Amino acid sequence: MKGVGKKYPRVKNTNGAFNDFWPLEGIFLSVKKGEIIGIIGRNGAGKTTLLNIIAGVVAPTKGEICINGRIKGLFNLGAGFQDELSGRENIFLNGAILGETKEELKDKLAAIIEFSELGEFIDMPLGTYSQGMRLRLGFSIVANLNFDILVIDEILAVGDILFQNKCFEKITDFKRQGKTLIITNQSAELVARLCDKAVLLDHGKLLFAGDVKEAVEKYRALLNKEQFFVGPAKASAALVEDTKKWADDRPNWGKILGTKEVVLEKVSFLGRYGRHSSAVKSGKRLRINVHFKARNNLKEPHFGVAIFRNDGVYCYGPNTAFDGYKMSRIQPGSGQFSLEYDKILLAPGGYRVSVAIWDKGETLPFIHHYAYYNLTVAGYKNINNELINIPFRFRPRHNFFGFSFFGKKFIPDLSVLSDKWGKKIEGINLIIGSFRIANLQNEEKQVFMTGSAVKFTAGLNKLPTGRKSYYCWLGIYRADGILCQGFSGAFCHKDKTIDFIFPRLGLLPGGYKVSVCVWNSKKELLAAHHGVYSFKTVFNKNDHGTVFLEHKWGLNGYE
Amino acid sequence: MISVIKEIYSRRSLLAELIIKDLKVRYSIPALGFFWAFLSPFLMAGVFYIVFIQILKVQIEEAPFFLYLMSAVFPWSFFQNSIMGSVTSLVDNRNIVREANFPHYLIPVSVVLANAVIFLPSLLILIIISACVLKGLPFIFLFFPLIFILHLVITAGLAVLFSVLYVRWRDLKYLLEVILILLLYLTPAFYSLSLIKASFSPALFNVYIYNPFVGILNLYRIALLKGFYAQLPDYATSVVLLFQPLIFAVIILIISTVVYLRAKNKINDYLAY
Repeated sequence: MKGVGKKYPRVKNTNGAFNDFWPLEGIFLSVKKGEIIGIIGRNGAGKTTLLNIIAGVVAPTKGEICINGRIKGLFNLGAGFQDELSGRENIFLNGAILGETKEELKDKLAAIIEFSELGEFIDMPLGTYSQGMRLRLGFSIVANLNFDILVIDEILAVGDILFQNKCFEKITDFKRQGKTLIITNQSAELVARLCDKAVLLDHGKLLFAGDVKEAVEKYRALLNKEQFFVGPAKASAALVEDTKKWADDRPNWGKILGTKEVVLEKVSFLGRYGRHSSAVKSGKRLRINVHFKARNNLKEPHFGVAIFRNDGVYCYGPNTAFDGYKMSRIQPGSGQFSLEYDKILLAPGGYRVSVAIWDKGETLPFIHHYAYYNLTVAGYKNINNELINIPFRFRPRHNFFGFSFFGKKFIPDLSVLSDKWGKKIEGINLIIGSFRIANLQNEEKQVFMTGSAVKFTAGLNKLPTGRKSYYCWLGIYRADGILCQGFSGAFCHKDKTIDFIFPRLGLLPGGYKVSVCVWNSKKELLAAHHGVYSFKTVFNKNDHGTVFLEHKWGLNGYE
Repeated sequence: MISVIKEIYSRRSLLAELIIKDLKVRYSIPALGFFWAFLSPFLMAGVFYIVFIQILKVQIEEAPFFLYLMSAVFPWSFFQNSIMGSVTSLVDNRNIVREANFPHYLIPVSVVLANAVIFLPSLLILIIISACVLKGLPFIFLFFPLIFILHLVITAGLAVLFSVLYVRWRDLKYLLEVILILLLYLTPAFYSLSLIKASFSPALFNVYIYNPFVGILNLYRIALLKGFYAQLPDYATSVVLLFQPLIFAVIILIISTVVYLRAKNKINDYLAY
């Protein structure tokens, strides 16, 4: 209601009559309306005591607090809740404690229950609730009541990612409505992301109040000094191996996450002729246009577009930060950006596309349409569920022209290989004698740069004579067993060595396994070295996913 | 005082929720639910009837002894349950107290009011039996609500006082258990006033009759038992019986208000453990 909520407290709290213990001493602080204040500090630094005092739950021993407006607090999880009562009855009890009348609560009951997503559990006794459900109920009640100042203790950590997202969305809503928030959180990144101002407490003393970045740096310094090491923000490494993590996250697909400080108004896919279409042809052009409308000023944002295969395999997720663009801010209002792939080297199939506008540290997105859009890649029949479609040259030595005689693509049935991972199977009259992974200068190597040229060479022995054609199939798997692509070509009995040449093998950093198999024209397996060979890739920049696709950002008008 | 009443009025929905909570916690799980509030006084009356009337055959002049006994036992058990329930209430409900900034005395008051709600059925039973046995109710019954409110105010005042003190001195609960038993025997619940007059010296009897609960219990009897007032000896005039509790109520309210206001800001500090 009123303009400024100010406090000039000088605070003491006695704990027990015998020894005076001062959880807080000499704190001076003033908070303006519409600010989000983060309080950081180690355990026992006095954060909760300060919040309690601000909310008026605990009276200061010394000093005073001046507050304009109604103040509400959310402290210990499930505090004020009665286990014997149902969730619904607890809403009334808790709301009444927080100073709401029954009529007001009746009006807000539906909104509270809906926000909590508790569904039918709302009529179960609270004793049956988990911590997370209690948090949901507690936050939903407080968030839907009338207040000018909200104080939230370190409890949001209990909620799952989706609910946390919802809470943060609500918190930024409050900010927009000009409400004042005071929160504590152990995650300094989160405080840096959400708050306008931070307060660093240690041993009951105020060490620093003001700029968030500075406060977080001081906090880190404090932690490091005390021999707790807090490492740098986790690098986005080993994504290729995290298949399970991404696949397990699929139930969250199609959700809209983040603080929603920006709205994606339109996301469209354009095919090779510039037509709008959610189906593109494998290996051809794809352009993604995004129109958005920012509701707040976004600090240091970056754009990201990620492509997932329908089963959860992360294909590729470039963002403007990885690609070296720096944007200091986006002003409120409409805007757009685009991402263009010259060749969308994904195997035919169904994909999902995420579009996000992230904050600097990727702590909490401004908006994240998570695997929200369907994208179909059309082309050949993708029987073996390959992931990518990288161009290659198949070159049996005998074949002078450097391409296959039998233009037809050979697609073997891989089910016969299912129990042969890591094994070498030799045929009666066919042996895969040698296998080399090398660069184009024929130097045998184990580690390649992403996007460099790679040559795989299989040497065959004891090849039977006769006018028969054979097929050689090369499969590149990720270290976790996901088939990236199978490459095949036909050869005749005169071919003793067979090359697969990739001018640009754009596999992102990670370990890869290689299979090489020989089939006859009746599609019978003659010899197989399945997942026996391996190589690694490295890259000189950060990128997410499995395959690197050449792309161009369209970022007109952003610095 | 007026500001306290205003505050209670403005937080009446909280008070209602707290009372409902108390009753729900108590009665939502037993199969018979709130019916127990009717059943248990009935059972208790049955036990007293068998013991005192059928077996011991006690008789007194003022009224049928069974009614005389019941009219004291029910109000007394309301008083005792309220005090014992509310003395620990701030500590028991510490998670509510530590949740938000609200008038904390509402918690012991809500315990007293919840007990009052439970007391009403037994009062109803008492009134019906009394009206049947004595063929009607006395004229003073019209003022019975005032007597009940007086009793309620004394109980609530003591409840707030004790609950606040208990936060700091946890010995209080054990002390109160003994004091309440002593107080019960210092009140004419099981015996008649004339018995005391006969056995106490005049000085001691004057001290005895200044016990406010003597007045309260006798006011209940005057209002509920037809013909009881006429039987009252002249040394226990209604003036003494009425003003004793009235003055006591005012004193208690003042003391508990002062103690509460002084302790208000410290309650939360001592509730942490």
